Amino acid sequence: MKRTFGQALSLYGGLLLIALLICMPFWWVITGSIKLPREIIQRVPTMIPESFTLQHFEKLLQASDFPVYLINSLIVASFSTAFTVLLALPAAYAFFRMEFPGRNALYRTILLAYAFPGVVVLIPLYGLFAKVGLIDSPVALVVVNVAFALPFSIWMMRSFLATIPREIEEAAVVDGAPTTTILVRILMPLIAPGIASVAIFAFISSWTEYLFASVLIVSDARRTIPVGFAGIIGQYQIDWGLLLAGATAAIIPVVALFALVGRWFVSGLTDGAVK
Amino acid sequence: MMKLTRLLTLAGFAATLLTGTAYAAPVDLTLWHMEQPPHRVQRMKELLDEFNAAHPDIQVKQEPQSWGEVYAKAPAAFAAGNGPDLLFTIPDFTTVLKGIDAVVPVDDLVKDLDAKHGFIEATLAPYKYDDHVWAVPAYNMAISLWYRNSVLKAAGVEVPKTWSEWQAAAEKLSTDGKYGIGLPANKQLYTDQTVYSVMVNSGAADIYKDDGSIDFDKPATVNAYDFYSKLAKLSPADNGSWTWGEAEACFASNTCGMILQFGVINTYDTQAEGDAADLGVAPVPHADDQSESATISYSNAIMLTTKDEAKQAAAKVFLAWLLEPANYGRFLTMEPGLFLPVTDDGAKADSFWNDKTVTKYKSQVETMISNSHAGKLFGFTTGKVFPSIGAISAQNVIAETLQHIVVDGQSAADAVKGGQARMSEIAKK
Repeated sequence: MKRTFGQALSLYGGLLLIALLICMPFWWVITGSIKLPREIIQRVPTMIPESFTLQHFEKLLQASDFPVYLINSLIVASFSTAFTVLLALPAAYAFFRMEFPGRNALYRTILLAYAFPGVVVLIPLYGLFAKVGLIDSPVALVVVNVAFALPFSIWMMRSFLATIPREIEEAAVVDGAPTTTILVRILMPLIAPGIASVAIFAFISSWTEYLFASVLIVSDARRTIPVGFAGIIGQYQIDWGLLLAGATAAIIPVVALFALVGRWFVSGLTDGAVK
Repeated sequence: MMKLTRLLTLAGFAATLLTGTAYAAPVDLTLWHMEQPPHRVQRMKELLDEFNAAHPDIQVKQEPQSWGEVYAKAPAAFAAGNGPDLLFTIPDFTTVLKGIDAVVPVDDLVKDLDAKHGFIEATLAPYKYDDHVWAVPAYNMAISLWYRNSVLKAAGVEVPKTWSEWQAAAEKLSTDGKYGIGLPANKQLYTDQTVYSVMVNSGAADIYKDDGSIDFDKPATVNAYDFYSKLAKLSPADNGSWTWGEAEACFASNTCGMILQFGVINTYDTQAEGDAADLGVAPVPHADDQSESATISYSNAIMLTTKDEAKQAAAKVFLAWLLEPANYGRFLTMEPGLFLPVTDDGAKADSFWNDKTVTKYKSQVETMISNSHAGKLFGFTTGKVFPSIGAISAQNVIAETLQHIVVDGQSAADAVKGGQARMSEIAKK
């Protein structure tokens, strides 16, 4: 159907507006990070930088522990992502294909864990981790991140599994493939976009997690970016350039992850699977 | 043979004792503070390294925390048995930890330190109640009125001393896209602080009666809110979301003619690249029917939070060392132009005045110190402290009351009446 000029104008105008709304804060943060302090604090901000400096990034990398926080965040987020995917996939498959009593009730119940406010369990978890010696350990953060990301990840993964034609599995069963082989050799490649989505969800959840990281981690050397960064900024006096440089540096790993796994989103789900 | 065996046994025992004495493990102290910005952590490290080197039998390590989380984190840590031995505090935080029996009184230490260095009474008062002193004051922060001399001169206004002069000055400075004053109206701690710094200047410093009942709804409080809301109208429209940083940026960019702030020196110097001689600071103006200016001040202190006697003794050695004038100035200048001395000899220490920022802004720092002597803090003005102050502070009831005026359009009298009801409700729980 061919669009009229008015329809096309409305469509592209709307898209442009949405793109601007999404991109504007990022533009402001990124361009702000290279402006001189005097330009940053102007009451009316400049859209195009009138000055250029890398002093905020120099300060961020040389005078603060930001690189340490960055490495800690990468470690915690990577392990949290890996464990979430490894646990979500078989759990989702079990809910999707296996028959056991209370399957549907349990499937709905697990989402309650996702809806539970973290702050409610913060103090009991602190006591629990203190007893097993996990306070001030990244392991505690991985455990918490996985526990909170897993319920929704199982739901996401099961939805992707549900899109795969049953005939594919039946063909594998006829050929004598066991369940593990069906899951690993046949279903996993077909739901690669689903795995990528869960991985991105788990990574970003972990990357931005603040509450537990602020309480379970005690020493500066083990802090993750959100907590360490909040400390760098200060309370009564804000170094705006440092804040913007840190925010810019903090989104780089997330952008890199999207660049890495983004191709999975454009590939077809089951292209060529059924001949 | 028997003799030889006995001799060897004795020699071995003596050697063990001597070895034990010579290599006795040092007392390890963990210090939690909330001075997280990197330059403050670095300055603390330098001081601790110096102390540890001079005191091999005591080793102090720092673990910086955040004010945002420490209210939940510290009680959890003490409950789990892994809390710190020394902990930075502000008055209402002390009441929280005292409530869970995590704080050790420091009466004798404070008495000795007071005799030696002379504590400024306003910094000690918020920690003296229930027959004990609960923390050793470490540094003070007090709100002052900040302005630019050139801006006031160009507008033909004098530095305001009274409310009527203040309002007139703010109105005169409100021209050409500039705002006469930048005051916050956010439901947040900064607004609590600025509103209270106006309240103390109308004679409404006490929010409790002696029996612990709330004493908020009174004419002096209503006058303060009424006046504040008039000034808030001369502030930028986004002041409903301001914290300290936004107000400071408004002043540093020369958009706000005056602001109430603990300190602006660092931002003014490094981000606004301002001229030191042009930066003005004055006491917060008082109501026309009052004669003296007062302000809000936060006396930051250090609590002793270990029950271990050896650690307590070691901690006292460390605190005494920290307040020695030769060391104390370097502690304060971890944030020059913000952290103010709590002792008389600290206020004269070369280690403080030799800092290059303090030297550059000497007259301003002198005025800040002078202002801090008239500092008060809500809930800690009567010599009696009631536990509900922690919740009243945490729920920002003072700022919330202002929002009922500037956002909901209530009269000051109605809003203060509502504030009284809210505080009373909290105090009953």
